[in-house]
Amino acid sequence: MNQYTCPYCRQPSDPSNPTCPLCGAPVDIRATVSDSGWVEQPAIRDMARLQFGQSHVQITGTRVPTAEFTLAPQDWIYFSHHVLLWSEPQVQMQTMKLKGGWNRVMAGMPLYMLQAQGPGHIALSDNHAGEIVALPLHHGQSMWVKEHRFLTSTGNVTYDWDSNHVWFTTGTGDDKEWHYPMGQYGDTFTASGGPGLLLLHSPGNAFIRDLQHGQSLLVQPSSLLYKDISVRMHLHLEYPRNHGFAFWSGNLDYRQIWVRLHGPGRVAVTSVFQPAEECEPITDFSYNTTSHRW
Amino acid sequence: MADKVSDSGWREAPKLRDMTEFRFSASTCQVEGELVPVAEINLSPQDGVYFEHHVMLWKDQTVPLSSLRTAGGMKRTLGGMPHIVTVANGPGRIAFSHNHPGELVVLPLHPGMELDVREHAFLLASHSIQYSFVRIKGLANVLHGGSGMWMDRFITAGYPGLLMLHGAGDVLERTLRPGEKILVEPGGFLYKDSSVQMQAMQLPVKIGMMRHIYMAEMTGPGRVGIQSMYVHHHAGE
Repeated sequence: MNQYTCPYCRQPSDPSNPTCPLCGAPVDIRATVSDSGWVEQPAIRDMARLQFGQSHVQITGTRVPTAEFTLAPQDWIYFSHHVLLWSEPQVQMQTMKLKGGWNRVMAGMPLYMLQAQGPGHIALSDNHAGEIVALPLHHGQSMWVKEHRFLTSTGNVTYDWDSNHVWFTTGTGDDKEWHYPMGQYGDTFTASGGPGLLLLHSPGNAFIRDLQHGQSLLVQPSSLLYKDISVRMHLHLEYPRNHGFAFWSGNLDYRQIWVRLHGPGRVAVTSVFQPAEECEPITDFSYNTTSHRW
Repeated sequence: MADKVSDSGWREAPKLRDMTEFRFSASTCQVEGELVPVAEINLSPQDGVYFEHHVMLWKDQTVPLSSLRTAGGMKRTLGGMPHIVTVANGPGRIAFSHNHPGELVVLPLHPGMELDVREHAFLLASHSIQYSFVRIKGLANVLHGGSGMWMDRFITAGYPGLLMLHGAGDVLERTLRPGEKILVEPGGFLYKDSSVQMQAMQLPVKIGMMRHIYMAEMTGPGRVGIQSMYVHHHAGE
């Protein structure tokens, strides 16, 4: 009986292969763990194959890797149309409409997804340097993913999205501005009717950490890549001590914006993120926001 | 180094290792860096290269520069393409790079070859290669083909030459048989043999009110090169 569990995708796997057949992580390497417990997600090796259903996907390239699917007739995938790189003419494509169209448009998220049905080859890639992260999901397993990190998924993984409830405002009256440091919405994927495969694009290196029950962690909001749905999150504001260099400005202006994650569960971050800009005073924030003043 | 070919026949362009050096004519080229690589040319006195001026990273003070006007000046300018390329002659050193992650594609051209390259992907070419351009015909191509209005065409007459491109992301190449077709995201197209026919094709799917997806239909025979990082141009009203 196979007792090997891949340390990256957490699924029962085969250690005799050079790479995990489910997530592509190299089997023959030692885990790179930082002193604080972050595990570096190893990049999927060039030309590694991941199996799903009767089909497989091959990861080609290393800078801006491409996911090249060999789809069996009964298998299909869905994806946002802007990641389609090439396709064989016989691959059947159709649109997949998503709920909440107006809100999605307002939030800058795609209104439609494309479905591609086998047989045939089709390839997808994001247009940023980075890594493809493969998340095999067992039946019933759900995963939260930050918006715009989704690359593609197998057809049996359902897609839903909801507000992140992480926001703050600056200004008042006509000058009031809403800020969503990790995007307005997050994606939730759930495997149903059997195991599924979810592919994400990480714009930098990816790091994973397991939070214990009651353990919490502050991360840059835009660096979050994915997390177990058991991990809760909310906005956290930190006000550094004012050492007098900016005495003419209220110390409310100087703050660090975090998202606080509460275990238990797995979280993953990427090394490329956009730091929050400007420092206008915050006038309102999401209901469960915490703060700390040094 | 292993020849890396995917299951559907795409071959990865060989990764040029840091500090790789190779010769062309009487000159040498050394490739430095791997994320945003630099091509450093040591030109011999009888050699020259030409390029778009914005890719020049540095040069020896003594390397003379000159301008070479291309045909179709105003039309190219309106299309966002330079109608003047810059020529550097030896002896001396000069270096080139684009400003985004990717890889250099080295294409030695034998006499009698013709290669079409997407606009702005061309890094440099040796002076023995003739340079012209192809205006992509057809309104559909102009509006919906991500490769825009122009493709650079490089032709070798009696002498071999060296052509270097910068592919954004990773670069893959596939050889199409006569009549074989492949649909490519127009923004992902990088180069092709001139024997490969390219035209914009509307897919029978909509992504909104009056919005369709357009792909570049490539028909063999010949080589097609693509890049994995691109600006997509799918939607047309």
